[in-house]
Amino acid sequence: MPSAAAQLKRLVSGPLSGLRHRELSSLELRELDYKVSEGQGQEQKVERTLEDLYVQSEESRLSQPAGSLMQDLLDVSPLLQDAGAAIVDDSFLRCFQSASTDPWNWNVYLFPLWLVGLLVRYLVLFPIRLAVLLGGFLIFFILFFSVHNLFKRHPRRAHWERGLVQIMCQVFVASWTGVIRYHGPRPVNRPNHVWVCNHTSMIDYIILCAYSPFAVIMQLHPGWVGFLQTKVLNCLGCLWFNRTEVKDRLIVAERMRAHVQAADTTPLLIFPEGTCVNNEYCVMFKRGAFDLGATVCPVAIKYNKIFVDAFWNSKRQSFTAHLIKLMTSWAVVCDVYFLEPQAQQPGETAMQFAERVQQLIAARAKLVIAPWDGYLKYYTLGAKHPDLIEKRRKLYADRIRRYIPGTLPQKPPVPRHPGAAASAEPEVRRRNTGP
Amino acid sequence: MGQALSFGLTQYDVEELKDHSGGKLTQAEIEGLYKRFRTLDRGHKGYLSTGEFASIPELSINPLHQRLGQIFSEVNFKEFVEALVCCSKRATREDRLARIFSVFDVDGDGVISREDLELMVRQLAGSTFTDEQVQATVNAALKEGGSQAAGLTYEDMAGVLEGRDLDMTVEMPTDE
Repeated sequence: MPSAAAQLKRLVSGPLSGLRHRELSSLELRELDYKVSEGQGQEQKVERTLEDLYVQSEESRLSQPAGSLMQDLLDVSPLLQDAGAAIVDDSFLRCFQSASTDPWNWNVYLFPLWLVGLLVRYLVLFPIRLAVLLGGFLIFFILFFSVHNLFKRHPRRAHWERGLVQIMCQVFVASWTGVIRYHGPRPVNRPNHVWVCNHTSMIDYIILCAYSPFAVIMQLHPGWVGFLQTKVLNCLGCLWFNRTEVKDRLIVAERMRAHVQAADTTPLLIFPEGTCVNNEYCVMFKRGAFDLGATVCPVAIKYNKIFVDAFWNSKRQSFTAHLIKLMTSWAVVCDVYFLEPQAQQPGETAMQFAERVQQLIAARAKLVIAPWDGYLKYYTLGAKHPDLIEKRRKLYADRIRRYIPGTLPQKPPVPRHPGAAASAEPEVRRRNTGP
Repeated sequence: MGQALSFGLTQYDVEELKDHSGGKLTQAEIEGLYKRFRTLDRGHKGYLSTGEFASIPELSINPLHQRLGQIFSEVNFKEFVEALVCCSKRATREDRLARIFSVFDVDGDGVISREDLELMVRQLAGSTFTDEQVQATVNAALKEGGSQAAGLTYEDMAGVLEGRDLDMTVEMPTDE
């Protein structure tokens, strides 16, 4: 068991800084987070974080002077403190917060200028862009479906379709005046390569496709986006699934493997976060893309929020609303970095590999790594890890039990694996599989 | 791009809440809490749904999350602030005692009755506690602490917790 000081240091430097020691969760602690997490699997990190929570609540309990049954029964202040801290701030939702805009226009000099800008954006730029987009769509659909239906057996058909999709994506990018700088070599298809990228909005895919077409693995959306997905993008070999269906995820994992191994397919792009994050943080990478035995080519996208925040908060707005927001702004500015391909090193697990690639992307796009699984947006943690509440409840139970006649006085519970032993533990529960 | 000046919180509202909390929350803290409330309130409906409240991962693994879910059930911003005053660093001992009492007083009748206590012990101690142990605990507690047959009053509880520091201070977010 490490010393109490070391224990405490580990606690306050843990990534769950929103929990209790909010005042200590400043910048240098974020750096500590990186150090603490170095060379360990993401899932272990999450487990360990939660373990910390447990140890922490226990420490504060044990530090209370031994009282009576009534005192121990009624004093729930540590739990309320934890709850309060989580209610006023938490490190998970911070990953999905849109950037707040500082009002700058309420000023005699700036307001008229801003007003002119507003009118230009909504009354001049937006109609022009909409016309370009709809005209582009029309021409695209005519060409695409003629190619698709007239040249059913032509050897170049897939090639032409790919080209048309790329042009369509360029029309999209033009419709928000995308100012996009691509760095690094243009991706070319080679068998056994897979591209992974951080995820901010569905426009990530459009931006990448405008440069070089990709097949992508994505959630199937309803409405016109779903129509595009199923009718058009299928020609690139894109794979669709429903995030909440476990069966879908298994099928996709299988098809993903087949796609990567085939020789003449479109390069496969995966967003391993599995959900849109606000381009400030980077949530846990799912291991699916790193399990294929393929070489992974990391792609980092960093948006400049000077004109518009490109984060798509899918719970708050539809994709159409998101596009309109982009089309009424001055421009979408972003940098795309194609990083050096990475191969899994001998002795490295898929999870460690995923984390290494995540660090590369996070460093390039200047993102902060958060220990959370992005799917928690769709599940509650308590429902996913019921054992965690039980662990904390057991502490309370054990403490009360000492006062009840007829039950043996028990020793205060010892945390399951304190300190460094956590990382050495071989059994890592695999809860999150698939892309 | 800077179109929005205020998000619906006026200085009048802030003053009202400041008065209401007895000066235990500052202007900056109330504004910070409002920002937080807006984040949690996904649809900007003006209140928090049970699902939104449960979606805070760190909260959903708190043994008290069900009870807190009841207390924070569909709260508007004013109720949200009220419920969090006890976590302010300027909160008095009475604020904290009142919060603990309201957590235990499930039916809200002003007395922690046998049923209230049973419910809370089950929620706090979980599945490792047998029915007999729950009963034994509740019996002992009522015998030891209750001055009245109906159960524990606020005064009983305050007396029992004498000497405990009941720290539940939380660093409030400020709108920087």
